[in-house]
Amino acid sequence: MSISLPTYKRLELPLLGRRERVRAIIATGLKKEFRRPAAIVVTAIGAAFTTITSIVLLFFAPLFIPGQASDLSFFAVPASNGFVLFFVSLMAAVIGAGLIADDMQSMAFTLYLSRPITQTDYLLAKAAILAPLVSMVTIVPLLLTALVAALLRLVSWTIAVEAMGISLVIGGLLTLFYTAITLFLSSLTRRKGIAAAGVFAVNFGLTLPATVLANQIQNPSILYASPWNDYLAVASAGFGAAGAGIDWPAALAILLGATVLAALLTYVRMKAVEVITG
Amino acid sequence: MVLVETAGLTKVFGDVRAVDDLTVKIPDGAIGLVGPNGAGKTTFLRLLLGLLQPTAGTAKVLGRDIGDGVPVRERIGYMPEHDCLIPDMTGVGLVSYMGRISGLDRDTAMSRSHDVLQFVGVEEERYRKIAEYSTGMKQKIKLAQSMVHDPQLYIFDEPTTGLDPRGRTEMLDLVRTIAKSPGRNVLLSSHLLPDVETICKYVVILDGGHQIAAGELSQLLTGSTDRLRIDVRGDQAAFARLLKEAGFEADAGATGLHVARKPGLESAVFETAKVLGAEVRYMGKEIRSLEELFLELVARTEKRGA
Repeated sequence: MSISLPTYKRLELPLLGRRERVRAIIATGLKKEFRRPAAIVVTAIGAAFTTITSIVLLFFAPLFIPGQASDLSFFAVPASNGFVLFFVSLMAAVIGAGLIADDMQSMAFTLYLSRPITQTDYLLAKAAILAPLVSMVTIVPLLLTALVAALLRLVSWTIAVEAMGISLVIGGLLTLFYTAITLFLSSLTRRKGIAAAGVFAVNFGLTLPATVLANQIQNPSILYASPWNDYLAVASAGFGAAGAGIDWPAALAILLGATVLAALLTYVRMKAVEVITG
Repeated sequence: MVLVETAGLTKVFGDVRAVDDLTVKIPDGAIGLVGPNGAGKTTFLRLLLGLLQPTAGTAKVLGRDIGDGVPVRERIGYMPEHDCLIPDMTGVGLVSYMGRISGLDRDTAMSRSHDVLQFVGVEEERYRKIAEYSTGMKQKIKLAQSMVHDPQLYIFDEPTTGLDPRGRTEMLDLVRTIAKSPGRNVLLSSHLLPDVETICKYVVILDGGHQIAAGELSQLLTGSTDRLRIDVRGDQAAFARLLKEAGFEADAGATGLHVARKPGLESAVFETAKVLGAEVRYMGKEIRSLEELFLELVARTEKRGA
């Protein structure tokens, strides 16, 4: 064992700012995810499958919806692709569930916070790791679908570009929602399996009963309880298609409110966690 | 230079006052923070790092208010007591990652990581995953990550926890080397008093969130020159009582008899020994080990509390 300091001299080096430190967490986090077979498989299959099904849905939209015009509302069909719901849940569960839970399990959270960063920096970095991966399912397929539609001359380029812009906003909303909810669930437990189950519970545990109940008792306002149906209402309104049975402003408010609330609760939780781990 | 300065620092968790109205002024160098389990050592360190907000009072580390948080932590290297490493990273990966989070650029972080890993003696295993490391190697990685950004102040919380005697010696050698190198200060928290005694020149002793003693270790251990310590084989309590009756101020404790010096003390001691049939095994200047001092101070505090 070496216990001398032959090459190690104390030097006052100017340290890089907090932005660089956060970037280091993001870069390392993304690199780590892209080394995990489960994360690679889910991301690749999720992005490919949702893109392909969205394009297929676009082709068959006139069959599914008789009289469907080749205008902007055309894109409400791929936006409501059910595979988005499935793969976004899977990605959030496989990638996002462990982002904070793993750090709490290994107690590396203390190590992060003993560095010159704040809890906000840490959370922003974790969100910045998850959000681009989730957007591979929520935004990228919609953008590619609009591009393919324009290339195949199913719609004009003007409509395709407009659809891309709306897809960015609507897909971005869904990305933010799932990022915030997943990180919140991940911050609640040291076991990522529980957080992953929570993601599925939020999606399918709310969406399926809400849809069944709304149909059974003919009361569409129950659909507000389902984030997916809220998203569908906003997406339909965004693309100028027929509504999903609930008002889009209220649905948008619910999605945004839940996102902000989840982010705030995660922050509060993080502030409390370091007390417990001591 | 003052390393740490606190005024009325208090941290309350529910009904527990983990740190209670602590006012200390700790000079630079190698400082020991000692106290029994639950004395408030870890809470105190976490307050210094800005990981906890004080309930009351103020504290400055290296001249900066702990409320500043980030600028304070830029100058501190912290080695936590508990396991805190990311198991699926390699040793060198984790240390350079921590360097980058501390603000080093990628190249500097990597180059320093190799330096500090060589220093702590984890050269061969640096590319192995931390999950495969032994406890001793994990402790060394924890030490290395605290060193990578070359801070002014190192905070080591129980660095020898879980180590075998050889690992403990190695770790203490490393800590001693850091403490001796210029421009670096060490705050060593431990309940293993011999560890502190071999490394630190100044100690702060905490109990129940209070400071019960602080000062240069040599002075604290020497105690008062006006007092003698007497080791007696026999009934110590009776010995102390007889000395008191003879007009001497005497205390019997776990570390022997402590008697205030007065003319005629020596003859009184031997006279008492003769009466009780006891054997005087040592009589001399009151030099204690840190452990003896600690036990004495804690006992005194408990007596006061009772």
